[in-house]
Amino acid sequence: MESLLQHLDRFSELLAVSSTTHVSTWDPATVRRALQWARYLRHIHRRFGRHGPIRMALERRLHNQWRQEGGFGRGPVPGLANFQALGHCDVLLSLRLLENRALGDASRYHLVQQLFPGPGVRDADEETLQESLARLARRRSAVHLLRFNGYRENPNLQEDSLMKTQAELLLERLQEVGKAEAERPARFLSSLWERLPQNNFLKVIAVALLQPPVSPRPQEELEPSIHKSPGEGSQVLVHWLLGNSEVFAAFCRALPAGLLTLVTSRHPSLSPVYLGLLTDWGQRLHYDLQKGIWVGTESQDVPWEELHNRFQSLCQAPPPLKDKVLTALETCKAQDGDFEVPGLSIWTDLLLALRNGAFRERQVLGLSPGLSSV
Amino acid sequence: MAQDSVDLSCDYQFWMQKLSIWDQASTLETQQDTCLHLAQFQEFLRKMYEALKEMDSNTVLERFPTIGQLLAKACWNPFILAYDESQKILIWCLCCLINKEPQNSGQSKLNSWIQGVLSHILSALRFDKEVALFTQGLGYAPIDYYPGLLKNMVLSLASELRENHLNGFNTQRRMAPERVASLSRVCVPLITLPDIDPLVEALLICHGREPQEILQPEFFEAVNEAILLKKISLPMSAVVCLWLRHLPSLEKAMLHLFEKLISSERNCLRRIECFIKDSSLPQAACHPAIFRVVDEMFRCALLETDGAPEIIATIQVFTQCFVEALEKESKQLRFALKTYFPYTSPSLAMVLLRDPQDIPRGHWLQTLKHISELLREAVEDQTHGSRGGPFESWFLFIHFGGWAEMVAEQLLMSAAEPPTALLWLLAFYYGPRDERQQRAQTMVQVKAVLGHLLAMSRSSSLSAQDLQTVAGQGTDTDLRAPAQQLIRHLLLNFLLWAPEGHTIAWDVITLMAHTAEITHEIIGFLDQTLYRWNRLGIESPRSEKLARELLKELRTQV
Repeated sequence: MESLLQHLDRFSELLAVSSTTHVSTWDPATVRRALQWARYLRHIHRRFGRHGPIRMALERRLHNQWRQEGGFGRGPVPGLANFQALGHCDVLLSLRLLENRALGDASRYHLVQQLFPGPGVRDADEETLQESLARLARRRSAVHLLRFNGYRENPNLQEDSLMKTQAELLLERLQEVGKAEAERPARFLSSLWERLPQNNFLKVIAVALLQPPVSPRPQEELEPSIHKSPGEGSQVLVHWLLGNSEVFAAFCRALPAGLLTLVTSRHPSLSPVYLGLLTDWGQRLHYDLQKGIWVGTESQDVPWEELHNRFQSLCQAPPPLKDKVLTALETCKAQDGDFEVPGLSIWTDLLLALRNGAFRERQVLGLSPGLSSV
Repeated sequence: MAQDSVDLSCDYQFWMQKLSIWDQASTLETQQDTCLHLAQFQEFLRKMYEALKEMDSNTVLERFPTIGQLLAKACWNPFILAYDESQKILIWCLCCLINKEPQNSGQSKLNSWIQGVLSHILSALRFDKEVALFTQGLGYAPIDYYPGLLKNMVLSLASELRENHLNGFNTQRRMAPERVASLSRVCVPLITLPDIDPLVEALLICHGREPQEILQPEFFEAVNEAILLKKISLPMSAVVCLWLRHLPSLEKAMLHLFEKLISSERNCLRRIECFIKDSSLPQAACHPAIFRVVDEMFRCALLETDGAPEIIATIQVFTQCFVEALEKESKQLRFALKTYFPYTSPSLAMVLLRDPQDIPRGHWLQTLKHISELLREAVEDQTHGSRGGPFESWFLFIHFGGWAEMVAEQLLMSAAEPPTALLWLLAFYYGPRDERQQRAQTMVQVKAVLGHLLAMSRSSSLSAQDLQTVAGQGTDTDLRAPAQQLIRHLLLNFLLWAPEGHTIAWDVITLMAHTAEITHEIIGFLDQTLYRWNRLGIESPRSEKLARELLKELRTQV
């Protein structure tokens, strides 16, 4: 076992080095050895992927490595992403070497011969490296073809395939972090927040929070997820959002109303904070007598339309949330003086607008114009 | 060798031109043209590789100075890269160009350029920068998430198609026909990539509200080809949709089956059954439109081969598999019998479709008489302006081997006077084209033979000579071919069932089988009889043993 773990250590170093200029010192023999190690590890993964103790030992070793590198949040992991990555570690290594311009001519030539020996080289049990690379190339063109000939960004973000994939990756990474105990997940998320494009990150979080509870990411060799369920990842995200008011404010600001409603319905612990934010935003607006509308004082204030939109969307949500929202609005209206006349309290006006909107909607749909529950 | 290399040069020019026209295959025309030539181009690449691997880098460039251009153009055409093994062969060809020890900057540059192309083939697609940053930021390489991304894209497109199918009138969610057509074109090179299956299935099953066919014919052809060669596995519902939407595919599937049957061992019904079940055609035929096309093709085959026994056997096995499949269909989805056999009287169709196993053995004779009456009525009835006349009735009857093959046996088994109805049926089965006179004559001859056989079965000893005389074969040239065959089969039946039959069986057969054709016929008869006994659960160890031995012996003779 110990020799296996050392092997893993050495390979991780190798992999890290493979994308640096250090490879200029590698001769063909080194290249061949590196590929052999990779093939060995891949074989190990295949044989012991389901074997509890061995798998756990390997995972622990990988987590150790990451901890030594300073945790996840520092940037792209130079070594293996996770245990599953062992299943294609030879492909990883091959690609890095192929793209590395620093590799010498003789070594490169040798590398290419190793990777693409030509027809007639078949392995009965395992897919050869050549086949794996060919399949990667084929899948790449599949993605290319679909992207440019049929793909359309889905207006429902949570159903968009690019978004879903990113969300799945995030949830998986959170799971790893939880297992590795390299750092508290919150710290990891905060470091991501600082490093990554924030708008996209927020969308991914929202989509991640809306993922169905089961189905782990598909792998070439299916492995049962013997550790925590992906549902835990959502919990971690919710906790983090609740603990970071700045992030949550950006979250609520940047994302469309419909999406937020779905997220809040799914994760009720978010609703009080969301409503609180909306209330704050509402209170910043004042009534402009001349124009006859509610306006903000500063440019970053949330305008009336957006506020209205969000409340409208929330009122279309199923019962527990919808009732909470209405109660909150009524309470605010009462605090303001319980006016029925427009222009005095934004909460009155909002409730009026919502009632009218609902009325008009029922008219359009041909439903009875009786009192809606609003 | 020299001829090969001349061919290669010609092909080279041709493909160079084609690739230049196709460019990146971004228009409808270039996509369609590329799809049409994918297989041939791959063949060309293979030949190129075979030629290139024998040379070193410098020789390659001397021989094919523009090879770099050709390969690059191919690599920039995503349809080519997506097809089957083309990406692999392209990589092999590129590797042949790499210089092990570059002597000058030109060669170095070439190496560098090749590296770039290889990277292009294997590297990830440049999505939006944000997505790239995100995945990298999390520490994932494209190889880690590509399978997942592809799966999500495929499932998302499949569910869009399904929604389009269900909510056709909801214009907001409608998928434009051009987009659906485009998707179908894209699937052509990808058809054997398992990740794409859900999309292919959705394309086949979901059709929008357009009155005309949107999917490209090359898509249907590619799917059909993959199904026939077992390179894709789709649910039955998708296959049925394919064959309903694209008639040439169904025809090709039938031809493929015929080819397999022709090239396999003659006269082995068990094998025929395997091939037929394997082809999924019986299940598909539960849909009447498909059944009619299949039946039509069988009819043509029968007419063209002038009633070859192998075709008749195939039809019988097919019908049996079809009926089995029909039983399995849920009752609500079942079509009326009339849709499968529109030119037959419903009562006849119904009785023919009954499985002998479902009827008590004692009633078989009765059922056969009933069948005979109905058939005779259909055949001899002139007033209906016979739809196809006797041939159609005969064609219908031969579908049902369970009944057709049983008549002779039933006649032999009963000691009583052979019923006219059954004699007629037997004569009709073997000689559908006979005029009334000829058929009547045959019936008389058969009755005589049966009488003799009955007498012989009561006597204590049998001799092959006696049997020959009874048959009146060899010398009597009055008997026409159908009657000869009929009597041969009667004799064989007799041999199998008579208690002392085995003693003279081989002698009789030796006398009978004076041509190769007749030997094959006897083999076919024995194989068919054993098959039928097995299916109907007719237990007679002695007869079966005899049949098997004879069959084995005869097979060694041909």
